[in-house]
Amino acid sequence: MTPARVPIGSTGVLTRRSVLAGSAALFGGAFLATGLSGCAATAGQSGAEQLAFWHLLTGGDGIKMAGLVDEANADNPGFHVTQTVLTWGTPYYTKLAMASAGGRAPDVAVMHASRLPGYAPGGLLDPWDLDVLAHYGITEDSFPAPIWEACFSGGELFSVALDAHPFILMYNTEIAAAAGVLGPDGQLIDIDSPEQFVDVARKMQVVTGKHGLSYGYLGDGAQMWRLFYTFYKQQGADMTLTPGENVEVDEDAAVTSLEFMQTLLDDTVATASGDYATALAEFVNGESGLFFSGVWELPTMTAANVPMDATPIPTLFGTPAVYADSHTFVLPHQDNPDPARREEVYLFVSNVLKNSISWAQAGHIPAYLPVVDGPGYAELIPQAHYAMAAENLNYDPQAWFTGSGSDFQNFFAENVQSVLLNKTDARAGFQGFVRRLNVLLSKPNPVR
Amino acid sequence: MTEVVAPPRAEVSVQTIANAAPRMPRSRRRENTVGWAFLAPFAVVFVLFLVTPLAWGFYLSFTGQSLTGAGGGLVGFANYSEALGDPDMWRSMGNTLWFTVLSTVPLVLVALAMAVLVNLGLPGQWIWRLAFFMPYLLASSVVSLFWVWLYNPQLGLVNALTGLFGATPVAWLQDTDWAMIAIVVTTVWWTVGFNFLLYLAALQNIPEQQYEAAALDGAGKWRQLFSITIPQLAPTTMLIVILQVLASLKVFDQVYQMTGGGPGGATRSTVEYIFEVGFTGYRFGYSSAISYIFFAIIVIVSIAQFVFRKGARS
Repeated sequence: MTPARVPIGSTGVLTRRSVLAGSAALFGGAFLATGLSGCAATAGQSGAEQLAFWHLLTGGDGIKMAGLVDEANADNPGFHVTQTVLTWGTPYYTKLAMASAGGRAPDVAVMHASRLPGYAPGGLLDPWDLDVLAHYGITEDSFPAPIWEACFSGGELFSVALDAHPFILMYNTEIAAAAGVLGPDGQLIDIDSPEQFVDVARKMQVVTGKHGLSYGYLGDGAQMWRLFYTFYKQQGADMTLTPGENVEVDEDAAVTSLEFMQTLLDDTVATASGDYATALAEFVNGESGLFFSGVWELPTMTAANVPMDATPIPTLFGTPAVYADSHTFVLPHQDNPDPARREEVYLFVSNVLKNSISWAQAGHIPAYLPVVDGPGYAELIPQAHYAMAAENLNYDPQAWFTGSGSDFQNFFAENVQSVLLNKTDARAGFQGFVRRLNVLLSKPNPVR
Repeated sequence: MTEVVAPPRAEVSVQTIANAAPRMPRSRRRENTVGWAFLAPFAVVFVLFLVTPLAWGFYLSFTGQSLTGAGGGLVGFANYSEALGDPDMWRSMGNTLWFTVLSTVPLVLVALAMAVLVNLGLPGQWIWRLAFFMPYLLASSVVSLFWVWLYNPQLGLVNALTGLFGATPVAWLQDTDWAMIAIVVTTVWWTVGFNFLLYLAALQNIPEQQYEAAALDGAGKWRQLFSITIPQLAPTTMLIVILQVLASLKVFDQVYQMTGGGPGGATRSTVEYIFEVGFTGYRFGYSSAISYIFFAIIVIVSIAQFVFRKGARS
C-alpha cells in the first residue's frame, strides 16, 4: 500500500495508482477545457441561433457543402449552422428516422427526394410553409417542374430541392474524335437507337483496344437500377406500387431494357465483370470511350484531367427520359419546434440555394433556376451540356421501401444481376423482382 | 405463516455456525456486501443492456412496432406465422448454416495443423505464434476492407495469383457461386489464430512421458500424432467446435461489410436479414420475431451438442 501514497514528483517514482490518478486528472482537465471552449464559441456569436444540420455527403460534394455552410454562416449573423456528416445510405436514414421518431431531430437535414414517400406520411418530417419560402424567394416557378413535384407528399411540400443528379453519359473526347463519332460542334453525335449506340461504342472500342463503354454494376443494385430505369422509362413505360395491390408494370418494356443491357455487356462493348470502382478506373485510364455514371463523378474526372464531355443518356427508345434523384432539404419532425429557429432554417436554406453555383461544380444540376439561368452556369462545361436532362427526370416509383440507398435497389440486384451476367433469362429475372415487390406490397406499411 | 417462520430459522442456523466459529458471520456478511459492490457495475450494465432489451424484444415480437414509432399495437402471433412462411428468412437460415459448416471445419483443422507444426519445435516459435494470431487482433472492418481489395475482379491480388496458373479471373464477391466461399476464406484467415492458440496451449499440456513411452514401444511420429496427440486434444476440439459453431451462427460483420448480403442474397445471413428487416425495412416487430425464432434454433443446437457430448463421454 505504501508506494501508492507517494505523490508524483516527490520521489520521481511512477506507480500504477499515481498514473491512474494522473490520467483521471488529465481527462478531467480535457473535459473542463472542452466545456470552456464550448462556452467561448457560443459567446462569440452572441444571439446567434445554433442550428443542427445533418447530411450524408462525404465525397467531393461534402467539401462543397461545407463551403456553402461556411458561406451561409458568414453571411448571416443570426444563425450558426453546425453540420453532422453521417455515412451515405442505410446508416444515415436509420439514424434520421429514429431521431425524428423521438421528436428531437436536427433542425434541418438532407434527404433524397426519392426517400420522401418513406418518411413524410409517417410524420417523420414537418412540412415547409410555402408563404415563408416565398418570402425568401423560393417559389414554384424557380424550379423545373419534375423536381418541384418530387418534393410533395400528400399535397404538402416536405422538401426543398437543392439539385438534380441524373444518370448521364460521359465520353472521352479524344477517343471519340479518333473514332469519328463527334459532330461538327465537337460534341458526341446524336444517337437515337440501340443499334446506333452499340455501333458508336464499337467504334470507340477499336480505338481503345479494350472496351468501348464502362459500366460498373456488380454487387451494386443502385447502378443496375439507374440504367435499367432509364431505358425502361424511355419506352414510355410506368411502374406503380400501391400497397395492398400487385405491382403495375410493363413486363415487355422491362425485358427489352434488360436484354439491351445484356447486349452491351458482351465483354467487347463493355465488360460483364465490372464493378463501380473498376469501371471508373477504366474510363479514367482511357481504356474505354463511354461511361454511364452519375453526375457526382465529375470532380473525379476533373481531378484526373480526363479529356471528357458529357450528355444526357441518349434517347434510344423513343421517349426522352433519364433516371435521377435530388438532394433536398427537409425539416425532420420536432415535437416542439422553436419558431425563431425555424425562421433561421428558412433563411439558411434559401442562402444555400442561391449560392448553389458552387454546388454545380460538384457535377449536380442546381434545382434553383435563377442559378442555372444566371451568369456563370453556361460557362461550366460539361455541366451546361447535360443540364437539359433536368426536363426529363424520373425518380424511383413511389413506395415506402423505394429510393436511394433503400432495400428496393437490393431486391432489384438480387434478381437482375444474374440476368446481366447472362446466367438467367431476362423475363424470369424480372418476374422474380416483381414477385418480391408483390410480397412487400402485401405487407402492412410500417411507416404509417 | 411460513414466511414469518422462515427468518428465525435462518437466524438459528447462522447462530449455530457463529458458535462454532465466532468471527465468521460478520466477515462473511461484509464479504457479501463487498462482493455485491464489485458486482454492481456489471450487474447494472447487464440488466440495462442485455436483460431489458431481451425482454423488450420479446414483447416487440408480438407487436407491429416500426422503427418510425408507428404500429405499436399487439398483433399476436402474426409476426411468427409470417416469418415461418417467409422464404427469405429460411434462405438466410440456410446461408447461415452453410456458412457455419463451411467455416467450422477449416477453422478446426487448419488451427490443429498450424498448432502441431509450430509445436514441432521450429526455430523462432514466437514469430509463428505472432503471425498466426495477429489477424485475430484486427477489427472486422479492417479485415473486410482489405479482403475486398484482394478479391477485386480486375485489380485484386487473388486473381493475379490464380492468373499465374492460367485461371480465368473470377468476381469473387459478386459471383453467387463464389461469394460465400470468399467470405469463408476471409473468416478463416481472420479468426483461425484464436483456435490455434487454444490448441497450442493444449498441446503443451500433453505429458512428455506419453511420447517417450510410445517411442520406446516403437511408435513413429505419425502413430504418435494419431494415438496420443489427437485423442489428448479431444476436450479442446470439443470446446473449439462449440465456440466456433456459436460464433459462426451469428456471422454478420464480414457479410455486411463485404457483400451486404449479396449477390442476389447468396451470402445473406440471418443476422444480416434481421438487420435489414428491422433497420432498413423499419419493421422492428417482425425482425424481433425472426430474432426469437433464430434464438430458439440456437438453443436447440446447443442442447443437441450437449446431449451429443454426454453420449460421447459415456
